[in-house]
Amino acid sequence: MADMHSETMLRMTDIHKSYGRIEVLKGINLEVRQGEVLAIIGPSGSGKSTLLRCINRLETIQSGEIEICGQKLVHMEDGHSVYAADDEARRILASTGMVFQQFNLFPHMTVLENLIEAPIHVKHESRAEILPYARELLERVGLADRADYYPAQLSGGQQQRVAIARALCMRPQIMLFDEPTSALDPELTGEVLKTMRELAESHMTMVVVTHEMGFAREAANQVIFMAEGGIIEQGEPHEFFSHPREERTKAFLQSRL
Amino acid sequence: MDNLMNTVIQMAEGSEITLEIFFVTLIVALPLGMLAAIGRLSPIAPLSRLLEFYVWLMRGTPLMLQLLFVYFALPMVGIMLPDIAAALLAFILNYAAYFCEIFRAGIQSVPRGQYEAAKTLGMSYPLTMRRIILPQVIRMVLPPISNETINLVKDTSLIYILAMNDLLRVARTIVQREFDMTPFVVAAVFYLAMTFVLTWMFKKLEAHYGRYAQ
Repeated sequence: MADMHSETMLRMTDIHKSYGRIEVLKGINLEVRQGEVLAIIGPSGSGKSTLLRCINRLETIQSGEIEICGQKLVHMEDGHSVYAADDEARRILASTGMVFQQFNLFPHMTVLENLIEAPIHVKHESRAEILPYARELLERVGLADRADYYPAQLSGGQQQRVAIARALCMRPQIMLFDEPTSALDPELTGEVLKTMRELAESHMTMVVVTHEMGFAREAANQVIFMAEGGIIEQGEPHEFFSHPREERTKAFLQSRL
Repeated sequence: MDNLMNTVIQMAEGSEITLEIFFVTLIVALPLGMLAAIGRLSPIAPLSRLLEFYVWLMRGTPLMLQLLFVYFALPMVGIMLPDIAAALLAFILNYAAYFCEIFRAGIQSVPRGQYEAAKTLGMSYPLTMRRIILPQVIRMVLPPISNETINLVKDTSLIYILAMNDLLRVARTIVQREFDMTPFVVAAVFYLAMTFVLTWMFKKLEAHYGRYAQ
């Protein structure tokens, strides 16, 4: 359980986002503290992935504030969101890592090259510095023997574990997961969820958009249920899953059983 | 036998200019085409439009006409270029347009997720292009580039009309002088030999860049 007094790693305040006239995020507020795992669930089209992608600037917001590790990525000025300058934003977002539904590994690089690419070319670490850490991470995700394979030679579950290791190789403080098991065959989701559980146990701060209710129930400290661009219900997982208050939450959870 | 040797030697000399046009065009038009593709896809609308027009112009008119234009029309407005430079200008502008379209299609075929993954790893746009996107583009464009390159070997024969002594013109001169068709056959063998070497080279390149795809 995350300590109530621990540091706030992510704060989103009154987030609004529209595509043209369609409002996809209608005033979202959330806060994630150090070591906490936040699971965001909800039907497709509820805006949960969009919300996650707003955290690291893959999507931009029109109104609201985003603070990451105490630094303002977006602040309000005259009723509009103003983003930090590009260099500054990149520096702030260096504390975040992301794992995608489609893995998005670099297909022309081996597993090991995928891991060390950004540390070498973005953080200018030397190969000698980063290689031991990259190998240690591959060990942690159970793929030490696949270091010299190309992504196309791996199963989906293996690719996703490489993607987790690649993100971790940049030593982020917050990990964002966008439906990390949705593109996987059912028999392969287990190995990815296991890796994510281990990461949660190592006190990594995580925001996870997921359809895996089991993971949300067992690994998360906080669950948010979204629908139609808003947060419908939010709570601690035991309470949330055993005694949902809102009708829509109940209906959604029913449909997932 | 002596006669044939003589023909081959003369034609080898003729192939010098053919090879010059070929190599210079390729070496200049390839990077130019890649830059044009990046410009074509840039969010700067006037640049993108201008390049779209350039591609349309170059692909929409015969290379022969472009050669004649550069060679005969430019001097009329006071731009005098040496023969070989005039031919090269037309070839480079024409081929860069084709390469531009090939690279554009290649760049667009790289999934969005590759850019997003690079961005979330803190990579800047130029770094993403250089390390992530272009290496994947090269693999995808190799077959169409190979195709165009082989076309270029044969297109060099168009400078024939500019009275430069390329392979084909030398062949025709000998045929007319000696009433012997052998030079045409020798010319065909020369072109085929060049195409053979290119085909082999591109096969090697495709194997090298395709090593990561299952």
